[in-house]
Amino acid sequence: MEKRKMTLVQRMQQLDRRYIYIVIAVAIIIPLLIPFNTKTYVTEPTANIYKKIDSFAGREDKAILMSFNHDASTMPELFPMEVSILRHCFERDVKVFTLCFMPQAAPLVDYAINTAKEGYDVTSGVDYLNFGYRPFALQLPIILGMGEDISNALETDSEGRKIENMEIMENIRNYDDMNLVIDFSGSASIQTWIIYARAKFGANIAAGITAVMVADNYPYLQTGQLVGMLRGLKGAAEYEKLVDIFAAYEDEDYPNGRPYSQEILKEINVPITADKIIYEVTNEDGSVDKISTNAEMKYEYKKARIGMNAQSVAHVMIIVFIIVGNIGYFLTRKNKKLG
Amino acid sequence: MKRQIPLMIVMILGFLFVIHTFVPHKISADFYDWWQEWAKAISPFAVVLGVISLGMVHGTKISRKAPNWQYSLVTVLALVFTAASGFIWGRQEGTPYMWLFKNVQMPMSATMFSLLAFYIASAAYKAFRARSAEATVLLIAAIIVMLGQVPLGMQISRWIPDISTWILNVPNMAAKRAIMIGVGLGMVATSLKILLGIERTYLGGGD
Repeated sequence: MEKRKMTLVQRMQQLDRRYIYIVIAVAIIIPLLIPFNTKTYVTEPTANIYKKIDSFAGREDKAILMSFNHDASTMPELFPMEVSILRHCFERDVKVFTLCFMPQAAPLVDYAINTAKEGYDVTSGVDYLNFGYRPFALQLPIILGMGEDISNALETDSEGRKIENMEIMENIRNYDDMNLVIDFSGSASIQTWIIYARAKFGANIAAGITAVMVADNYPYLQTGQLVGMLRGLKGAAEYEKLVDIFAAYEDEDYPNGRPYSQEILKEINVPITADKIIYEVTNEDGSVDKISTNAEMKYEYKKARIGMNAQSVAHVMIIVFIIVGNIGYFLTRKNKKLG
Repeated sequence: MKRQIPLMIVMILGFLFVIHTFVPHKISADFYDWWQEWAKAISPFAVVLGVISLGMVHGTKISRKAPNWQYSLVTVLALVFTAASGFIWGRQEGTPYMWLFKNVQMPMSATMFSLLAFYIASAAYKAFRARSAEATVLLIAAIIVMLGQVPLGMQISRWIPDISTWILNVPNMAAKRAIMIGVGLGMVATSLKILLGIERTYLGGGD
């Protein structure tokens, strides 16, 4: 039987899905293999988390808690956020605790800490502490218990050491001191922290979530129940840039990073194709000054920004596919009307 | 009795927790501390039950050579080997457990999740047609939000991220709030039905 030849309009409407898969695969793989520089625009929900953490810099009586509520499937989006925040804490001397209620997340916590601490002189039990994995059934008693006494609610760290007398626990008793909880997840787990730690104890809560969960969590952001939100890979890329520009910055005036400034943020861009951190400062006349530093720009520090290149191209390709499909649809409709 | 006893436990403890939430008395606080200790003691049994259940389900499949029993064998072997590697060598960097996590679980999970990008692209191409006014609005909103999520959107026009944020902040939020309030009221009603013993499906079937 002779196959009927498809017209161009029909082809536009009925493109084989395998072609779509190939185009998307190429659109994602090439930008990942060959990174290019794009500007990352920092949004307010990301900046708010950065500013909150930075306000604890060098303080013995303040700490943050990072709750890892995801498995390896959502790592591409969430892992760069976790590494960036840990790096921020290590750069700015902020006490940081980690915890997880999913067994699959336990190795992730170790992996994130080991990745971030490379190159920093930080010690477990002094600068950071991993509380480790706790069964999900204990989530509620632990979240509520930490509102009274962290040492009592958790008792030991991931290595089975008593946490009560550890150096990092000095001046840290409950959510009044460990005053920011950031939950990383691809689910609605942030709600548990909002309902119990926020409502009952007034803890500041922030979310690091996958892009598909962003719309679900906007109401909490608007009400102020979330102090900030890292929204998918975009949020991770924004945080990476903030750490590069402020926390990792060093000069005579600011030997351990400089404070956040909206003005500086507007002027500076950090190219990701360089091996060292370079600040590109845009002057009022449009000219660009390059300030080179000796600080290493590791792959782990720019992973989200490289990923954003792939995401940008993939989004454009999806939009192109939608437009092509619709052109085909309208032309078919027009042809049908004409007879 | 098999139904009455669990029903009584749920009712009594449920009301005790309601009272604890609203009555800040010492007895209430002591009850809460007592519950915390119990919760810690009970939770490990859930893991034991899970492992027994998994073993029974897959053990039966393997012994009866049920269709696709080979997958069950892989599941049981993976469970035993992963658990054993964690117990014997620990979970630190450089151990077989961490190697398994980095080289088996991580790439497998990431692969499964990354398939989403391909399905979304294919579904967007096939389903996003401007067939009606509502579909056209959805289509335009989707394109703006997608562009607003990447730096390219800002480079095209600074309005794109602003409109994208407005879409998420206003129409999206209105719909989300309506759903959340509905769900919240439903949860309160269901909780009350459970506490009062009207809703009993959680007890399962049989006498």
